[in-house]
Amino acid sequence: MNSMSKIGIAAATLVALALPFLLAGNRFLGFVLGMTLISLLWASGMNLLSGFVGLMPLMFAGIAGIAGYAMVYFTRTYAWSFWLAMPVASLLAALIGVALGLPALRLKGFYFTLCSLVIQSVLTLAFIFFPTFTNGDTGINEIAPPDWFGGGALTGTRLDFALAVVAVAGIFFGAWLMRTHLGHKFVAVREDDVLAESIGIDVVRTRITAFFIVSLYAGIGGCFYAVYVGFISPRAFDVLVSLNIWLFVTFGGRGTILGPIIGTAILAPIPFLLQDLQAFKDILSGTLIILVTLLMPGGIYGAWLTLLARRRGREVKTIQAREQGV
Amino acid sequence: MKLLEVNGICKSFGGVAALSNVTGYSLEGETLGMIGPNGSGKTTFVNVVSGHLRSNSGTLTFAGVNIAGMRPHQLAAVGLCRTYQAVRVFSALSVRKNIDDARLLLESRGLEAAEIRELTEWLRLDRRLDEPAGSLTLFEQRRLELLMRLVLKPRLIMLDEPVGGLAVAEVNEMITLLQQLKARCSLFVIEHTMRVIRELADRVMVLIAGEKVADGPPAEILQNQRVIDEYLGTAAHA
Repeated sequence: MNSMSKIGIAAATLVALALPFLLAGNRFLGFVLGMTLISLLWASGMNLLSGFVGLMPLMFAGIAGIAGYAMVYFTRTYAWSFWLAMPVASLLAALIGVALGLPALRLKGFYFTLCSLVIQSVLTLAFIFFPTFTNGDTGINEIAPPDWFGGGALTGTRLDFALAVVAVAGIFFGAWLMRTHLGHKFVAVREDDVLAESIGIDVVRTRITAFFIVSLYAGIGGCFYAVYVGFISPRAFDVLVSLNIWLFVTFGGRGTILGPIIGTAILAPIPFLLQDLQAFKDILSGTLIILVTLLMPGGIYGAWLTLLARRRGREVKTIQAREQGV
Repeated sequence: MKLLEVNGICKSFGGVAALSNVTGYSLEGETLGMIGPNGSGKTTFVNVVSGHLRSNSGTLTFAGVNIAGMRPHQLAAVGLCRTYQAVRVFSALSVRKNIDDARLLLESRGLEAAEIRELTEWLRLDRRLDEPAGSLTLFEQRRLELLMRLVLKPRLIMLDEPVGGLAVAEVNEMITLLQQLKARCSLFVIEHTMRVIRELADRVMVLIAGEKVADGPPAEILQNQRVIDEYLGTAAHA
């Protein structure tokens, strides 16, 4: 990680932790912030797989959905505290995700993506056809906010701040993970899985571990989404959500820690701020997906790093290489 | 002592038999060469032994352990590794990072930093450590590939055409490097350049159309009439 990345992450951390209080007077902007913070957690999770391992998990939102529904089920049926239901539901969702993803994780690149799309579709259908847990297409409303010490509930600015803490923790965990041996294996598998295997890296196991961790991010985000919005339905966890998070990651710069933060900060608030242009929301993200894929495969931060490297007169093959300390 | 033993290996792709009933062995400390025309099954043989492909039948034993069905990463852990005909390095990563990735397998049980520095100097990569591996010349990439295998503390390295695509002077240097390497571990070499086989191999196996047709010291094999007729073309070649 270079010094610019460190400064960027430190700045993002301060801003994320300060904003809930700065926006405390305005509930609407506070809500936009909260949604952006949930997206930030999701994007840093998605980035671990799509940026560092090189797999694009389109069932990401589906796994978040499993956790969200399970959390609501545990809190309503067994009267569990959110703080017990959230980790249990996330763990459950991650285990289900790995079980469903197991056959797909032997595949690479495009084939994995295709398989994950099928899994996502199946999950969306499951959310509709198991109304016992999900209330079907109607969705579940009036989800209670997380309980807090002293019998109160965690709402408003305090909940926004909790989301900021969770998102920042997610970013730091990802940054730490990429410095461990496991993180180095992620990159090796992305760069060349045949070579990785022949120098002793268990490729399938590495992918499964990565997928499990990423599913935990999805699940935790799904639980917070449910209590934050107060309403969940199959539409909240469909493939467009996965694609949107992927867009945040790629727009900012996949395979870097700072990139997804930039991407999410720029793109996540847009649909809320352009509420009057609701019809254009999906068109806008669709257009951006195409433009980014064609013009900026390294994202904004990637393009910036390449520019910087060119100025220094050094040849750089990919932006990921720089981030990895080349 | 026999290090690698293959017995009755068959491998077919659809109806095409790439290997039929191949049997052979390599000794600890020995350099075993393999020659044969294009498409005779040499690379398939390496793919089967190194766990990239599964044979249809036959047994594979390495250092007394049954290795049939083991994946490449498991084989790397027991000391059997290989290089590729089309060189493979992590092109986008630095040379240093490439070496570090190869160290992930053994971690603290692996080579000391000083030993790795020594190897890096021996393979003349010490000045290239911060370059992306993709910007290296083919010869440098081949040396890096070799270095990444040595970090795994191998007992046997299978080299698939180690001098393929190299210039004449580079071939000479590679032969010298491989000769020095023989002191470190056992080798298995596929080559079309007969000089490499003559100067390196203690013994040679000849594969023609998926069948082993000869096995013996290079001097003898390169004079073998069938090998000359079906592969070398003229005796002058040898």
